[in-house]
Amino acid sequence: MDIGIIIAGILTLAIFTFLYRDNPIYRLVEHLLIGLSIGYALVIYWQTTLVDILFRPLFTGGKPVLLIPLVLGLLMFSRFNSRLSWLSRIPIAFMIGAGAGVAIPAMLYARTLKQVSASVMPLIDDGGFHIEALVVALGLLSTLAYFYFSREHEGLMGKAARLGTYFLMVFFGATFAYTVMSRMSTFIGRIDFLLTDFLRLIG
Amino acid sequence: MKQRLPVIICFLAGAIMFLQYFSPHPVARSVYSAILDYWQIIFAFTLLVGVAAYVKSNLKQISRGQDIPYRLVAIAGIILMPILAIIGGIKIDSPFLWVFENVIAPMQATVFSLLAFFVASASFRGFRARNLQASILLGTALIVLVGRVPIADMISEYFPKLTFWIQNYPSMSARRAILIGIGLGSMTTAFRVILGIERTYLKGE
Amino acid sequence: MTPAGIRWIIFAGLFAVVTLSYLVVVDFGSLSSPEVQKSYDYLENLPEGAVVMVSFDHEASSLPEIQPIALAILRHIFRSNLKPVGVSLFAEGTAIGYRLMNKTAGEFGKKYGTDYVFMGFKPQQIAAILGMGESIKNIFPEDYLGTPVEKLPLMADIENYDDIEMVISIADGSLTVHWIEYAGAKYGQPVMAGLTAAMITSYDPYLSSGQLFSVVGGLKGAAEYESLIGRKGGGTRGMMAQTTTHLYVIVLIIIGNIFYFRSKTKSGAKQ
Repeated sequence: MDIGIIIAGILTLAIFTFLYRDNPIYRLVEHLLIGLSIGYALVIYWQTTLVDILFRPLFTGGKPVLLIPLVLGLLMFSRFNSRLSWLSRIPIAFMIGAGAGVAIPAMLYARTLKQVSASVMPLIDDGGFHIEALVVALGLLSTLAYFYFSREHEGLMGKAARLGTYFLMVFFGATFAYTVMSRMSTFIGRIDFLLTDFLRLIG
Repeated sequence: MKQRLPVIICFLAGAIMFLQYFSPHPVARSVYSAILDYWQIIFAFTLLVGVAAYVKSNLKQISRGQDIPYRLVAIAGIILMPILAIIGGIKIDSPFLWVFENVIAPMQATVFSLLAFFVASASFRGFRARNLQASILLGTALIVLVGRVPIADMISEYFPKLTFWIQNYPSMSARRAILIGIGLGSMTTAFRVILGIERTYLKGE
Repeated sequence: MTPAGIRWIIFAGLFAVVTLSYLVVVDFGSLSSPEVQKSYDYLENLPEGAVVMVSFDHEASSLPEIQPIALAILRHIFRSNLKPVGVSLFAEGTAIGYRLMNKTAGEFGKKYGTDYVFMGFKPQQIAAILGMGESIKNIFPEDYLGTPVEKLPLMADIENYDDIEMVISIADGSLTVHWIEYAGAKYGQPVMAGLTAAMITSYDPYLSSGQLFSVVGGLKGAAEYESLIGRKGGGTRGMMAQTTTHLYVIVLIIIGNIFYFRSKTKSGAKQ
């Protein structure tokens, strides 16, 4: 049998011991996983980002302008010195600012306007009466009413907000079911590995 | 200086990235591309800072004699992967990829699969029809649980259709309202950040 | 019985249900849903040689669920002689994407560089997605293995999203949202998704508004796609276990509620 499968199988079983209770075997493999995952990410970031779009263009591609992000990146390390740690705010501010700048049009157009316009559906047309259009409009408005906190949830507003909670429960219920589906799929995948590759009970 | 400089940089980066959306001018495009590159590079450095902080914290714990075997294993893992990448590269059949496929990926998937057990346990303990809202939640979950597996067709051809109807209309409309709320909230927060009203990112050195 | 005892019984029950049902092979026949059919039809009707971008936007933790989806879609892509450009916006998706593309390309005798490429990973997803809208070569000057992009024949005519028919984001989180809200909204790039089941409801509004073209969701979605391409795999194999685990959870919910209502009745009677 492939040594890789044996190792993967033993580690899989070691992690499942957590189901009994927290134990030293689980904690050891847990720390191994953390260390290896960080080491892996380090290599990937170094190889595909820092070398690829910083060091090579800067040192061999004749792009001295890349000294700017290099210096900004190095400023992040000032966090380890309490006297100079304020300098790390500069690259953070740059990233936060850039992120906020690109987010405004995206949030306005893709997340708000497109979603609002998609909610306006014909209630009656040649195909007849569409109950779905009414359900979507009611669901959207009542859920928005529930999240609107600038006015007391009383009277009509209160009734709308209450209706909104029912729609939210439908959403949470569906999401819960899909979450069950997803978590079970992951576990099924591990059982598949144990039965097929590790124990070879299935051909 | 310590407050004003970051706020000015945040404003400039934010304003440029916002305004470029409306300008196809070549200069605007090249400034935009440059900022996107810088953003990625700085982000990569944040990972390096995180790794350095994690190693530092582990070494501190080791020097205090706490959890020494676990901490040593974690640090060994961090060191091992770059060494393997230097020795054998990162392509197919390299030791680096071998460790990823046979150690990291199975372990991560297994840790994640533990959630299946906790979801099952939570279904037994917490999923109670205490009131109307909880009953709606419970009823929807039961319909979707049955409707999204092949036996739904055996029960009735309308079962999967009912599941999709619930998902596509009442459930979707609530999710859409959440999305719109997040969208409006994110947009106003972004404006506040760019204009220097929201400065929480300057805290916590 | 103690709470810990009940928990262990539930855990042992789940282990037994999955293991036993996995040993039983049941043919559920042809499976399909409108969303999966739409994804399949789109790729099936693309002209040979059309370029699609496959983005591996997931972690290793969701691999058991993601892999059958990715394999089914990649097999369809290669079978249809489409040319995929692989990228990853999650560090862990990088090695997985590279391996899955190599594996499926090998099954169809496809050649790296001309029939498919894997460009690797770039951090800060929003910046990477927006950057590729301007120039993919600028964001990926080299592929995953360090080959300069100029030496990859497939990349010769690919400048930005204008040259990509569809982005297929294989994701276990909200990364596909970034594809929709940045590549889709700003550059008009159509986006299709292969998602873990847990994420499906989060994307329903985007599907309904047409911002997301279609979804292949969860192990069931993978099984449906496998059924459409006529090649059974992990999705089909897991359907029996998927069904029994759902039934197991339903039984747990019902028993939990019986206990709840019994204790409620008893406490009501005492008062």
